[in-house]
Amino acid sequence: MPGKELAIPHVSGDEKFSNTYQYWKDEKTIAAAKKAGKTSAETNYKDFRWAQKSFDAEGALDIGKQYFNQKNAAGKSCASCHGQDGEKLRGIYANYPAYSKKLKRVVTVGTQIKHCASERLGLDWADDSRPNVLTDFYIASLSDGKIIKIDATQPGPIKQAYERGRDLFFKRAGHFDFACASCHTPPTVGKRLRSQRPTTFFGDAASYPIYHFPYALAGDDYEYVFTLQHQIKSCQLLSRIYPGAEGSPAMTDIEVFLKASANGYRMSIPGAEYNMDTGYLD
Amino acid sequence: MSHFAKLRYLSILTLVTAGVAGTVATSFAEEPPKWVPGEVYPAELLKNFPCLDYTLACGKLKSPPVERIEFSGPLEGDAARGEKIATNLRWGNCIACHVLPTQDGGTIGPTLKGYGAREMPLDYTYQRIWDVRYYNPNAHMPVYGPNKVLTDQDVRDVMTYIYSSK
Repeated sequence: MPGKELAIPHVSGDEKFSNTYQYWKDEKTIAAAKKAGKTSAETNYKDFRWAQKSFDAEGALDIGKQYFNQKNAAGKSCASCHGQDGEKLRGIYANYPAYSKKLKRVVTVGTQIKHCASERLGLDWADDSRPNVLTDFYIASLSDGKIIKIDATQPGPIKQAYERGRDLFFKRAGHFDFACASCHTPPTVGKRLRSQRPTTFFGDAASYPIYHFPYALAGDDYEYVFTLQHQIKSCQLLSRIYPGAEGSPAMTDIEVFLKASANGYRMSIPGAEYNMDTGYLD
Repeated sequence: MSHFAKLRYLSILTLVTAGVAGTVATSFAEEPPKWVPGEVYPAELLKNFPCLDYTLACGKLKSPPVERIEFSGPLEGDAARGEKIATNLRWGNCIACHVLPTQDGGTIGPTLKGYGAREMPLDYTYQRIWDVRYYNPNAHMPVYGPNKVLTDQDVRDVMTYIYSSK
């Protein structure tokens, strides 16, 4: 699909796509856009998903914190290395996915948690398991307000992952022969699609993981938390593409592309899933 | 199911299948799931189309080639069935992107209200639904024909429905 040559690893890249960035680049512009009567779709939903915090996610974050402090038989927990309340992990979520020297590939925080839990604690916390997803959400909340920075411009594994992820984002697949970009780039962005209006892919990753009540996929047991991996899987199922395994190299590359497309934007965890002003549906 | 129980279950399954293989293997061949239009599309069948993966076989699949189908008339479809197909989200789901003659819908594609009055050639409309890529390779419309989302009769019924809107 055309358009991918315009993508750059920075949130301002939206100017070449939906060109709504001017309405949601920070709190001030969002407030001004709302005052000028712009809709939520025109602020890329950042007026609530990013500028407001979820009232309901506290329970899920608490469970994540419990997993983080859960001691194994030897009395060890994530906190043993990463500090009480994860103080040593503050800010890291804004720089993930990152290259793991140990695993010799780019990994999401979820994949990092899986390997850490397995090696250090002897726990089987698969990428898409309840303890992993909820711990991931808790760790992400420790980076709330941090500016996202994924360096996809220097030659190296992250740049390569970004480019592969971008190519996958623009690749047509599945029963309908749709790409991710079919919905998340113009002219579809902002138009009515099955009673919703799709977002531009720029800046979206800043609100993930997101507390997604009452949505869940069949078999989910994550307290309605959607990591970016889980969101991509959900999108694939909706558009009839065989879903990738969460944490797989291809899915990780897509996450690198999305996260780098939020470079320069602040993380907002837990972002509000709902706009209390129901006018956003118009 | 615990990991161990799963392994045990799998190994028993393997033993059972291995034991009967060669004698009555055909009767054990699993029926592939079938998609019933209007119901959830079985995830297993999605492997037959390109996917976004580096190791799965579907990751190497290509989009189907463009199909040019000449429409041969007359139309004479079932408009009521066409409306059902157009509005069912697990079937044609035209409503996701188009305003329909009888119902409000999405705004990704042009409105289909009053489509009949536009007097578009039947062949053009049929091709547009069957495989839009013939006219526009970058259109965001499902490849209804080549990927068997709709049958020839389904497309005729949908056309009968939208052409009836003057």
